[in-house]
Amino acid sequence: MMDTNSLQKPKRSFKRPFAFPRNCVYRPLRQIHNMERNQKPPADQPTYFTLNAPPSLLPAKKYSDISGLPAPYVDPHSKLRYANADEYASMQHLPSDIINGYLTLRGYTSAVG
Amino acid sequence: MAVPKRLLIIDNGSYECRVGWHDTKQPELRFRNVLTKPRKDRKKDNQLPDASAPAATAEELRASAEIQIGNDIINIEAVRAHLKSPFERNVITNWNHQEQIFDYIFSKMGFDGEESIAHPIVLTEALANPNSCRRQMSELLFECYGVPALSYGIDALYSWQHHQQKHKLVADALIISFGYSTTHVIPVLANKMQLEHVRRLNVGGFHINNYLFRLMQMKYPVHLTAISSRIEKLVHEHCHIALDYREELLKWAQLDYYEANIMKIQLPYNQVTATNALLTVEQKQEKRRELALRLLDIKNRREREKLQEDEEYLQVLRKLRQLYEQDKLQKFERALQQQQIANLEELDKLMGTLTSRIKRVKERAVGQPRPSKQQDKLDKMPKPPEGVPQAEWLSELRNKREELLQRKQARQQQRQEQARRHTHAAQERMRIISTLARSEKRRKANGGDEEDDGFGMNDNDWDVYKRINRYNDDSDSDAENEQMLEYEKILQHYDAGFDDANNAAMQALIAAENYQLHFGVEAIRVPEILFQPSMIGCTEAGLAELIAFVLKLFTAEQQQRLVDHVYLTGSCAQFRGLKERLAKELLELRPFQSSFAIYESNDPTLSAWLGACLQANSKNFSGSLTTRKLYQEYGGEYFREHSASNLYYPTPKD
Repeated sequence: MMDTNSLQKPKRSFKRPFAFPRNCVYRPLRQIHNMERNQKPPADQPTYFTLNAPPSLLPAKKYSDISGLPAPYVDPHSKLRYANADEYASMQHLPSDIINGYLTLRGYTSAVG
Repeated sequence: MAVPKRLLIIDNGSYECRVGWHDTKQPELRFRNVLTKPRKDRKKDNQLPDASAPAATAEELRASAEIQIGNDIINIEAVRAHLKSPFERNVITNWNHQEQIFDYIFSKMGFDGEESIAHPIVLTEALANPNSCRRQMSELLFECYGVPALSYGIDALYSWQHHQQKHKLVADALIISFGYSTTHVIPVLANKMQLEHVRRLNVGGFHINNYLFRLMQMKYPVHLTAISSRIEKLVHEHCHIALDYREELLKWAQLDYYEANIMKIQLPYNQVTATNALLTVEQKQEKRRELALRLLDIKNRREREKLQEDEEYLQVLRKLRQLYEQDKLQKFERALQQQQIANLEELDKLMGTLTSRIKRVKERAVGQPRPSKQQDKLDKMPKPPEGVPQAEWLSELRNKREELLQRKQARQQQRQEQARRHTHAAQERMRIISTLARSEKRRKANGGDEEDDGFGMNDNDWDVYKRINRYNDDSDSDAENEQMLEYEKILQHYDAGFDDANNAAMQALIAAENYQLHFGVEAIRVPEILFQPSMIGCTEAGLAELIAFVLKLFTAEQQQRLVDHVYLTGSCAQFRGLKERLAKELLELRPFQSSFAIYESNDPTLSAWLGACLQANSKNFSGSLTTRKLYQEYGGEYFREHSASNLYYPTPKD
């Protein structure tokens, strides 16, 4: 298997035949996280995953999805936030894919699909 | 052990990779740390002629279809969607990609033809890089490339050391490193990084670019491709960080401030090349008619030529026939042979078909004179029916148009009503749905042979589905739209006073404006995600909150030592207004009348590389190299710690 691998690769004079085991070529970060957790490092030892920023304790400010202005209102139908009546009127003609685009951009996920 | 040779310094950032020798002033190689594979089908096209082509050209062809990396990517805009990076966040996870990038680096640095990379390498890695990633990196470099020694360091700390050259006595600092995928807050006390108190915000330049891209994409769905190539330029040159975000926003809410400060970007626009998709229905029809006319023209011309030919030929044949009638048989035979005609009968037959063909063509030409454009237009324009005065007819049309408009509005209204709960329309909709479902169930329960309620016998029955469909009521309104256009056309033609905003002259004027992007609030809204990650749905604490969090992990005296030297580095530290904003935030979170100072890196993008260089040039540098021998003895995870490195925590053995 190693032979076929090195054959496919472009021949470089400065390289020696070498290939990672197949399951190590690509490991997503989530998998690395699980591996580290399973190794049970001492609790006080900092790792990549313990250095994550803590969740924010401040209430998230609300901004209009479309204009970015401070938004006191939410359209109960589309769930978009809006700042004023003009914006609300313009929202009514948005196609549903754009509405969903704004919602996912803000990270909004509804409980009911 | 003395440093054997020149060292290769690689600042392997997730946005840009910088490579150079330790004894130079600048990295010789800088490239976007991405690669792309040209599409498969193009590869196939390139390789098809291989079989017949000589080997040399086949090799060339294959090279052109191979993976493109960094600066070798021919058109980075065209392949934007297919760019691949070895990184996930700031950690290398895809080792195939990383290997290809090393191939690229080493061949660009002139190692082609050598047997191994016989130079020690200084390489940056992520802060608290997981052991498994480091092991793989060491294996790759030692086993595959035959590197004699390695040194791993953290880009932010290298940058800090570079900065320390000018501030030699400073040993404590709060480093804020703005990366492409992450932002770090790194406390340093007595020249030692306080690793357990470092915090990482997983928001960076990538998120900023992406946020702007998505916003513009949804604001101008039509100009998707034109936008994507301009995003980075917009971010780099026009985005800045607001001193007081809320206040700035309220300013933008004022119309006159908006008018005065909005940046309008004119996209390339020329009317001639307007694509088919952007034309109105009328324009499309006009175009189609023109095309048809042109085709007809060509056909007519060809027909006329053919007619002429036929007539000439007929003339020749007639002469032949005359020869026969004048009993000049010998001459006749010879002429027949010349024309390749067998005998008299065939001659007669040929003449017959020719005359009939000529006659047919001529008849058609007479019966259907070539229509002139103007004539055509007038013909198509409907006229008032006979016996009805024009004015009456027009008012009738106008009424019909009004009716259509009203119907359209009613539908819109209904749709909105249905979308809400507790309205009559919504309840009606639910009632219909449940009736439909019940009858469906009943039919199924009885094995399908229940008495038919006759649903579907009448075409109108199916309209019930239109009524319960919440979104797509456009199927039947398409026809209405066309009808409306038709009415409008007629009204425009006969009625000079008919006022329509969509008339052609206006359209030409505003067409260019349709190609303008308005860039206003976005300039502050986009980089603001560093301070308010909640704007992109990220639950992590924003930068200011994070700094406060990190400071609270220290004693009051240590806190003061840290904030006395806040150091900003990384490419994203170049945003205008960042320093001022941080000063404002620090002022808010520090005790009253306490002091702090913020320093910016004088070369935020390159200082990490320069700092690594600096360390490589120092006297006792060889002590921080992980040599091949050490690698073989302690394994891939092991590395020598030094002033700019991570801390080594061996993976616990079970």
